[in-house]
Amino acid sequence: MKTSEPAVPLAPERAQELVAEAVRACPADAVEVTLLGRRGEYTRFAGDRIHQPQDIDELTVSIKAVVNGHGARAATSRLDRVGDTARAAAGLAAARAATADRAGGLTVAEPATAGELADPPPLLWYDDTAGFDAAARVQLAGQAMRSAAAAGGRANGMIGRAITQIAVATSTGITRHAVATEANGSATFTIGDGTGHWIDLSRSADRLGVRGALDAALGRALRSRGRIPMPDGEFTVVLGPEAAGELVEFLPDFGFAGDLAAAGVGLVAQRPGARIGSPLITVADDALADVGLPMTFDFEGTAKRRVPFLAGGVVGGAVTDLATAVALDPVGHSTGHAHIAREEVPAPVAANVVMQPGRLTEAELIAGVERGVYVERFWYTRVVDRQAGTITGVSRDACFLIEDGALGQPVDTGRFTQSVLDFLGTVDGVGDTVRSQPVMNVWNGSVSAPALRGHGFRFGARPAAPQESA
Amino acid sequence: MTAHDWGDLAADAAADAILDEALAAADGHCQFADVRLIEAEELRLYTQLGADPDERLEHNLGVGVRVLVDGTWGFAARPVQDGRDAAAAAHQALATARASIGVSKPIDLAPMPAVSGRYETAVQIDPFAVDAAVRQQLLEEVLANAGRPAQVVSAQAGVNAKRQHRHLANSEGSRQHQHFVETGAGLMANASGHGDVQRRSYPNSFHGNTAAAGWEFVTTLDLADQAFRVGEEAVALLTAPTAPAGHADVVIGAQQVSLQIHESAGHALELDRILGDEANYAGTSFISVDDIGTLQYGSPAVTITSDPTIPGTRGSFAFDDEGTPARRTALIDRGLVAATLSNRDAAGRSGQQLTGAARSDGWAYLPVCFATHVYLEPGSGSLDELLQRLGDGYFIEDNRSWSIDNRRWNFQFGTEVAYEVRGGKRGRLLKNFSYGGITPQFWGSVEAVAGPEELRIFGYPCGKGEPKQWGFLSHAAAPMLVRNLRIGVA
Repeated sequence: MKTSEPAVPLAPERAQELVAEAVRACPADAVEVTLLGRRGEYTRFAGDRIHQPQDIDELTVSIKAVVNGHGARAATSRLDRVGDTARAAAGLAAARAATADRAGGLTVAEPATAGELADPPPLLWYDDTAGFDAAARVQLAGQAMRSAAAAGGRANGMIGRAITQIAVATSTGITRHAVATEANGSATFTIGDGTGHWIDLSRSADRLGVRGALDAALGRALRSRGRIPMPDGEFTVVLGPEAAGELVEFLPDFGFAGDLAAAGVGLVAQRPGARIGSPLITVADDALADVGLPMTFDFEGTAKRRVPFLAGGVVGGAVTDLATAVALDPVGHSTGHAHIAREEVPAPVAANVVMQPGRLTEAELIAGVERGVYVERFWYTRVVDRQAGTITGVSRDACFLIEDGALGQPVDTGRFTQSVLDFLGTVDGVGDTVRSQPVMNVWNGSVSAPALRGHGFRFGARPAAPQESA
Repeated sequence: MTAHDWGDLAADAAADAILDEALAAADGHCQFADVRLIEAEELRLYTQLGADPDERLEHNLGVGVRVLVDGTWGFAARPVQDGRDAAAAAHQALATARASIGVSKPIDLAPMPAVSGRYETAVQIDPFAVDAAVRQQLLEEVLANAGRPAQVVSAQAGVNAKRQHRHLANSEGSRQHQHFVETGAGLMANASGHGDVQRRSYPNSFHGNTAAAGWEFVTTLDLADQAFRVGEEAVALLTAPTAPAGHADVVIGAQQVSLQIHESAGHALELDRILGDEANYAGTSFISVDDIGTLQYGSPAVTITSDPTIPGTRGSFAFDDEGTPARRTALIDRGLVAATLSNRDAAGRSGQQLTGAARSDGWAYLPVCFATHVYLEPGSGSLDELLQRLGDGYFIEDNRSWSIDNRRWNFQFGTEVAYEVRGGKRGRLLKNFSYGGITPQFWGSVEAVAGPEELRIFGYPCGKGEPKQWGFLSHAAAPMLVRNLRIGVA
């Protein structure tokens, strides 16, 4: 692997100076400054072209000013305007405070409650990722395209690396800084009507095993040619790690996020301590785990804590930020999950969801099924019923009927509408290998899961009851 | 002083100097280069029941340089701190392209004549000049009204505004300066009770509604009064009967039609997707290049048009993000696939018409094919007349959930509300309405579309690309009548 190490977006000393300067420049009762940087390199390919090679640097300094408990934020990409931006944030907050009839409840984190960073911290920087340069990525992309072409098809995908940086300073004395490597990749092979997919991410490029993963995805595309329609009905299913991860990603929507819990919606609010999943199911948001995209603190400077969602199938807790922690418990402390997504209200977000692996290989999971369906991947999944935990979507890529404990005929895309919670209650087998995938619209977001075997998974539309004819 | 007089790049001459630096750095090292220099500022105020408001003002300024070296693309983007960044981005883009030479099949970009010009959004009231107290007071009233019923357990309301200076220059001599302003607002309420949670929203369940306009757009939404209805309907849904399953005739409201256009027409007609460029992330399309001009996509009542020259929408512009002048294009003409949403690369490769649909989310992302202002041409008559024509069936509105497969073929949607219709009159409120189908069969079942007086425009954000970028676009629709729709599928 050739070495062309990318620089950190901003020198660490300069980043920390900058956020400290912004705190000092902001005339407010309390101030929180967050610097986010990302130097991303993406080798995107399709068919016979690297059609979108991209090197993208981004850097933003965001200042939250609080005046009499009322807050506002201002952000800029101009490092020479950070002082002006800090004063703009203070001006907005002061204007809000001036028109309010009482004090607000906004605060910034306090050192006494923001927690100590994990010791030892999770490893965030891997030299092998820093060396995962354009030449190495182009070589892998070229190999994928040539292999697919030789098989009579095409490969499409993206292989990338990034350096992410976060620095936080508050007027209460909190200072944090972290830089992290990230390697990611995904590919879809199309051979005739067969397709196979791979996706993974890690702090370490070597852990992805890109070459082998691409070969395996090509193999699945070849194996999945000659598809038959997905039959309607309820099935025992083996979900590959990617499909399982997509289901697990929905758990926060079902009440494991502090804003929902504070509103009385979902499992943490309504069924705390209840067993809703199989005893084999343990899922947590675990930013300190050595899988996915670990991180040590959040945008508010709070040290990240592990938050169990399901422990042996039993409902655990919700991820929180400063505001929702207090909404849930007046003396509660944030779990370190503050987040601001574009075009959305600030809300606590699970950013490194991890399902604990079991002991069975995927082949062993399949061997335990007399008749069922293997699902490699889901697509375009959306919540239908938050209360019941029901989502809809389609299966896609290398999916097969399972017949007598082995993969049988490949099946085409099939629509499903299924309660994730009901399914997790039926799981009787968990795979031994975890794979990670990004969570869209979440900074540094990842979900990691092993393969799962469960029952009663319904493909096809809801059957009409006799009284329901329209 | 106008709504466009702000920031560092309001003056086109200031932008030209930076554009020149990037082009000069690339000159002689590539066969083509374009430079997008963009300054953007966004103002957002969100309020939630029981929570402190969140107000933010976010500014960024950066440059993205795209080059074609020996037929191979390269792209680099970075924030602009000083005059050196534009040239540095150009050098990095060249290096990125060179890394792929020999592995990537070269392309010849179709030539385009140099086109230069200037464009500004028409703004009556600068949203950035509106007093903070006015924004706050409006949203407080909205939340109070929506949250009046005790069973409303959460509600949020927000206003948003964005202004941009978007400057483009390319090595072919084009130089374009566009200055945009957009403003929007939205409201959503959740009610809980009777073992259920139900949601209502206004004016669009997906990120509210945003137009290319000033604060005057927000005032037309009548948010405070609508909030009463939104809260009350969320509560009413808790005890409403569940919508049935089977087959039925349905009038679909304008908002839900707009999302149907987005998912099953807009995306399906993106030429880069049709050619497989997005197969790994956004997906492909059931429409092939060979289908253009021959595939019967819908009934004769269905004509879908791309027209970014219509002012006031989130998809309005004079030039797309690689410099192609805006133009009106019939995408679906009386049911027949007529054209695609294309960019220069895809149009050049496939021999298809260039329709000016290269869009990007600011300076940091490559232009890819996104919808512009894509809308269903209205038919005639009012909504009430359409319900009369329906006779017995359902009237549904406001999206609750949506899902469509990677070929934009098999879809399933749910709506927030449904009403029984008997003899052309609205009856009971129903909850959890869902419907599904196959795209050309669905559009082929459209019997009629209401008239221009029922047309509504919705601004949307949309995601595509790796790394994912947002596209900002718009759709317009009037309610339409669909026969024999499969319902109750979820």
